[in-house]
Amino acid sequence: MTIPQPVRKQSFAPYLVPLLVGGLVAVALGVYGRAHTPTGYAVGLSGFSGTLAMKAWLATGSFVLALVQIFSALAMYGKLPGVQAPSWTGTLHRWSGRVAFLLSVPVAFHCLYALGAQFDTTRVLVHSLLGTFFYGVFVAKMLSLPKRDLPGWALPVLGGLAFTALTGLWLTSSFWFFTTFGVTF
Amino acid sequence: MKRLGPFHTLGAGAVLVVGLGVLSVTTAPRTDTAASSAPAAKVTTSVSPESAPPGQATPSAAPTDAAEPADPTPKRADYAGVAQGNGGLVALSIKNGKAIAYFCDGRIESWLKGTAENNTVTLAGKGSLITAALGNGKAQGRLQVGKAKWRFSAPLVKKPSGLYRATATVRGAKVVGGWIILPGGRQVGLLGVDEAPYPAPKLTPGSPVTVDGAELRPEDTDAFFDDL
Repeated sequence: MTIPQPVRKQSFAPYLVPLLVGGLVAVALGVYGRAHTPTGYAVGLSGFSGTLAMKAWLATGSFVLALVQIFSALAMYGKLPGVQAPSWTGTLHRWSGRVAFLLSVPVAFHCLYALGAQFDTTRVLVHSLLGTFFYGVFVAKMLSLPKRDLPGWALPVLGGLAFTALTGLWLTSSFWFFTTFGVTF
Repeated sequence: MKRLGPFHTLGAGAVLVVGLGVLSVTTAPRTDTAASSAPAAKVTTSVSPESAPPGQATPSAAPTDAAEPADPTPKRADYAGVAQGNGGLVALSIKNGKAIAYFCDGRIESWLKGTAENNTVTLAGKGSLITAALGNGKAQGRLQVGKAKWRFSAPLVKKPSGLYRATATVRGAKVVGGWIILPGGRQVGLLGVDEAPYPAPKLTPGSPVTVDGAELRPEDTDAFFDDL
């Protein structure tokens, strides 16, 4: 940050492509959610009292791992005062992220396949928009990771946006479920 | 351990989506055989361990036993909402696998009957059709009246909101009144007098309405569900 670098024109391209692809993913999910007639049914895990309870708990698992994500990232970037990131922080960050993502997939699949994007109430509207945005940002972040010449703020911004979106998604779904129906499995 | 790249992460997600899609299609409620085969096998082994020969009695009994607890459709529920793009109201009620619905925009109306299973309702009336998915506290789907089609989304409602119907014979004419009241207080209604539409008086739930000097007593869904 202290040494200003000369701006080169080519340096934009590497992180524009992931952003473009991520944007396309978000738009495609939104269009699919809107155009496809909801089936009202999708496979899920058994052992819960209902589909909503299953989704609420999977999303909660994903959200807890997202908290691991944010703190492991802060540690890696040396932003946690007094914490020296252990050598396994990177591995923890990668695997907690992967599991968080994979936990979220069945939830989002049910949302899009069985319910579709809906804009009728504020909660559902916000949830629909955040959901498509989250996977767009996530794809952008994944595609940006292998790029070596990104500005230093690129990954933290993408990761921060993904975390913010997931937090919003959790608040508009699981938190709503737990406060409306009670904390039930 | 080999380190997986971000592409593998996305790939794993894509594979998961495809797997969920394939499973959802193959176990979808419509294809009863695929959906009930696994639970049916459990029921046959646990309920009738010795008596019935496996080929005969069990296959007829098991699917119904297994399908009952698997069906997530609510036993009793009332929904009401707005037909998008038309502004008319739609009310839908479910009771033990049966469904009734009423659409009314103050000028045209339609009463529909049908079934509810696996959180999907399909209803038909005179020249009208409704298909909707139940879930997340609402019924969401499509409505067709004549050649017009609308989407609708109807949240769960509780009395005094919901659907009301009154039937009477007024001076030899068969009068059927239908009303839908939304939680916000918005309502729409229509009288069918020998099937011809007439404006309906405003309904206050619990009070009778007067039509051409005769008194009609609109009833809520519980009262007329089985008569429709």
